[in-house]
Amino acid sequence: MTELLFRLLRTKQGAVGAAILLVVTLVCVAGPYVAPYDPEKLDFLGRFAAPGARHWLGGDQLGRDVLSRLLTGARTTVPAALAATLLGTLAGALVGTLSAYLGGRWDEAIMRTVDAVMALPGLLLALLVASTLSKGGLGAAAAIAVAFAPGMARVTRSVALTVRRQEYVAAAIARGESGARIVLREMLPNVAAPVVVEVTIRVAFAVMLFATLSFLGLGAQPPAPEWGLMVSEGRRFLHQAPWLVIAPGVAIALTAIGFNLLGDGLRDAMNPRDER
Amino acid sequence: MSARWLLRRALLVVYTLLVVSLLVFGITQVLPADAAVTLLGENATPAALAAVRTRLGLNDPVWWQYWHWLSAVLVGDFGTSMRTGQAVGPVMLVALSRSLLLAACSITLMLVVAVPLGIVAALRRGRLADVLAGLVSYLGVSVPEFVTATVVLVVFADQLHWLPATGYVPLTENFGSGLFHLIAPVLTISLVLVAHVSRMVRSETVDVLASDYVRAAWLKGLPPRVVLLRHVLRNALLPVVTIVALDVGYLLGGIIVVEEIFAVPGIGRQLLVAIEARDLPAMQAGALIMAATYAVANFLADLAYAGLDRRIRYD
Amino acid sequence: MTATAPLLEVTGYTVDYATRAGDFRALEDVSLRVAPGEVLGVVGESGSGKTTLAHAIMRHLAGNARERAGAILLDGQDLMRLNQQELLAVRGRRIGMIFQDPATSLNPTLTLGRQLTEVLERHRGLAPRAAWQAGLDWLKRVELREPEALMRRYPHEVSGGEKQRVVIATAFAPHPELILFDEPTTALDVITGARILQLFSRLRRETGVAGLYISHDLAIVSRVADRVAVMQRGRIVEEEPAATIFHAPRHAYTNALVAAVPRPERRLVFDTPAAASLLAAEQLSVRYGRPGLFGRRETLGAHDVNLDVRAGEILGIVGESGSGKSTVARALTGLAPYSGRIRLDAQPVGRMGRTYRRSVQIVFQHPDSSLNPRQRVDEILSRPLRLFGGSVAEIPALLEQVQLPAAYARRWPHQLSGGEKQRVAIARAFAARPRLVICDEITAALDVSVQAAVIELLLALRRRHGTAYLFITHDLNLVRQIAHRLAVMRGGEVVDLLPVEALGSGCEHDYTRALMEASPTPAGRGTA
Repeated sequence: MTELLFRLLRTKQGAVGAAILLVVTLVCVAGPYVAPYDPEKLDFLGRFAAPGARHWLGGDQLGRDVLSRLLTGARTTVPAALAATLLGTLAGALVGTLSAYLGGRWDEAIMRTVDAVMALPGLLLALLVASTLSKGGLGAAAAIAVAFAPGMARVTRSVALTVRRQEYVAAAIARGESGARIVLREMLPNVAAPVVVEVTIRVAFAVMLFATLSFLGLGAQPPAPEWGLMVSEGRRFLHQAPWLVIAPGVAIALTAIGFNLLGDGLRDAMNPRDER
Repeated sequence: MSARWLLRRALLVVYTLLVVSLLVFGITQVLPADAAVTLLGENATPAALAAVRTRLGLNDPVWWQYWHWLSAVLVGDFGTSMRTGQAVGPVMLVALSRSLLLAACSITLMLVVAVPLGIVAALRRGRLADVLAGLVSYLGVSVPEFVTATVVLVVFADQLHWLPATGYVPLTENFGSGLFHLIAPVLTISLVLVAHVSRMVRSETVDVLASDYVRAAWLKGLPPRVVLLRHVLRNALLPVVTIVALDVGYLLGGIIVVEEIFAVPGIGRQLLVAIEARDLPAMQAGALIMAATYAVANFLADLAYAGLDRRIRYD
Repeated sequence: MTATAPLLEVTGYTVDYATRAGDFRALEDVSLRVAPGEVLGVVGESGSGKTTLAHAIMRHLAGNARERAGAILLDGQDLMRLNQQELLAVRGRRIGMIFQDPATSLNPTLTLGRQLTEVLERHRGLAPRAAWQAGLDWLKRVELREPEALMRRYPHEVSGGEKQRVVIATAFAPHPELILFDEPTTALDVITGARILQLFSRLRRETGVAGLYISHDLAIVSRVADRVAVMQRGRIVEEEPAATIFHAPRHAYTNALVAAVPRPERRLVFDTPAAASLLAAEQLSVRYGRPGLFGRRETLGAHDVNLDVRAGEILGIVGESGSGKSTVARALTGLAPYSGRIRLDAQPVGRMGRTYRRSVQIVFQHPDSSLNPRQRVDEILSRPLRLFGGSVAEIPALLEQVQLPAAYARRWPHQLSGGEKQRVAIARAFAARPRLVICDEITAALDVSVQAAVIELLLALRRRHGTAYLFITHDLNLVRQIAHRLAVMRGGEVVDLLPVEALGSGCEHDYTRALMEASPTPAGRGTA
């Protein structure tokens, strides 16, 4: 494990991604304590304050400090994105691995259905599900999990099939090992690696999706300091206070970039034979 | 291409649409414990709730509701909007045509930019052009459309005044103005698409450049131009059709957001309005039509790819 | 012969590859000469640098290659000093190349005809119609039937042998002075490969082209080349006429290489096994189905196979790819469903239980995929040990039996070489103390010297434990060295099952005889 960490940090993407995510994690954990102001504190004198000494990233239409809201908002978006991705991956992995294990007719039937479900683009599916559930971050997270499940099913199935073809799995079968043992001891550790890479990259997408849902009114609700929501609210005041939109936009993008980079770094680090 | 292969593919499209319809109907009408409450809110009177339930047929068994809805859809009747009282179908289809226009322009712009970008990045792999292209792609996939759209608005409409902020002018009314108003939304959507597709084109081209047959072409003494055009591009561009088809999914997602921000009255916007107003028939119709568009686009891409790559026909 | 000026002359050539781990010397002070019309063979195992040599001559090295010294002269002209434009007049036109795998060295989206006419248009300056005609003539010359139809076909529509003939035509058509052959028969089955070699010698006589024939296969090279250069780790260690180099090698490495090449007359097993049947297959058939949603698509992997292995015996199964030999192995180890009967010690086997599994073990072909990359060696070995009644304490002894140091127990598979990985796979099989080990092409992916060491190991283990082997291979000469009896398979059926001494006596099947004739042994051997 420590060996993996070293290899990860030696790749450019891994190092930068890890650095970014370290900052994001710190903000998630300690953000509210470090914030200079209460994110919900109204301050009519600070309305539309330009970024300056008093409000480092400016003030919004109700005079709330943008920086404080950013720091607090991380706690909504990032854990929700992580949870949604993990849930979606779990559900998808179950279906995908089962399909790979069953093989033959069942495999084809399951995969055709998964493909059919994916005819509903991610955002669309998430929108539909979120609109049915009660408004709020929880509903949005659940919706994202549902939207991710089919894609992860495809990925895990494909990886599982590749692993199943390897000769060490055949050796285990020839030893008379039980199916459960083969799946758990032989296949799973080898399936986990590519899936972990995929999951990391998906979290980036989940961050963006969660912010998008909040932007469209179906995720976090006001007055929560969620980044997507901040963009949606700030949009009306684009002309006089563009920083209301730019600050949270950059936060979202940076977090997504961090996860993307980490995923790329993990992919390189997990390949032991890539020594060029 | 064999008739059997075509039949298989067509049946799959039908199956896909069936599953999608089940999913859409299930999520919107079956999943909520009481769709009437979802539609009218918690505080609605029992009488109003009962009226809605009768009107939408919510008291009937689920499978009957589904059949009722599906059979109507199959003859083109998408029901009446709960918000406007108008027939949903015609409104949605008109909105679809506008979205398709947006999509077509975006895809065209994307192809013109992304394909050469990807190829050049592959040819100059590891050098400055490649690294820069990679950076731009990274940004493209890490910034959500609503942020890009808003930035485009801020920069081009608000600060520079080069483009109109929002609004839609039908092309039939005023072609020039219509196109002008389309520039900002098309630009926004294309940005994300270019980021995706150029990376995939680059990756394909890199693989082809490293292949044995390209090496053989070099060693046969063929000049660089011939190797590039006849051997590299032919093989690298083959999957572009598939890549674009895959990206139609991202496109449809992006269209929802972009139409909202730039106030383009396309099907994405209609869907959002329907969701906001809890207009069940309109929601169902919008979702179904969008998914059907994706499924048909993929089918056409399959056909096109099979037409180009002879190996596939022997499936 | 030494009076004529050489066509190709390489002097003191040295090249490195710059990697993240430092410079890797690929070729060191390499010098050789090819006279006009002469064929020089270059023999080497993996890592010898022979492919780098070919690329260096064609001036198409990888981006991280750093040429340090030397010259490459074609007819007196130093190729290293030519620019890209000038090289275009050399590649293909004066020096041609024939590649290893025709399936990957042909463009899948161009017709075969186009890939042939493009060199004719480019190097012979022919107009399209004339090039088409010339292409047809060449296809006839390389013994392809229905050349008109073939010109319009795509690579995936024709067989490996046909593809390679098209590649040959493409290389010969511009009338080059020299052709580089990069293992051109390795990707083909033995009989097809033998026919291709006959085609080469005929074309060589007709065109008088010189050749540089690169291969790992000593036997082929000794029959194709006039002189042979032996390479080891980037250096040429010996250069001799083909007729004598294998009879009386001078360098220690060449000696070892020659000793490692399988020769039927060099028998390695001298006992006679008992007559008791250990494992028998009766009317074994295996179907490969692809049960999709739209009906099954099935092929017969093996059909009505009858064979048996006696206690302590080595039974060889020989066949080309697709002959069904691996299918039989899979059926015997429970990896593929079968119809028919399997008997262990003459008792029918219903379900393959612990006793069966312990008695019958298998070692696979690909060292890279036969060990779980996420398990260390001790973990890989401990499982079968515990499963079959041994204990973890036996691991050092087990490693010692396969001649690996005990410290290897803590290593990961990617830290081992191909030969070492196969040793671990063998150790894994022997952990169960089996009575029969099925070896499914276990040395096919290894260098010939490593192969010889692995075979020696197998024989040592047999002497120690009395194990029987079911030895599956496509190398007839190899199996003739060690097997007591031989089964020959083709198209899923056993066409011949006979004692190994009976080969060559005339009572073998036609196909077996064809295989024997197509399996070359090094030329210039003396008696015995």
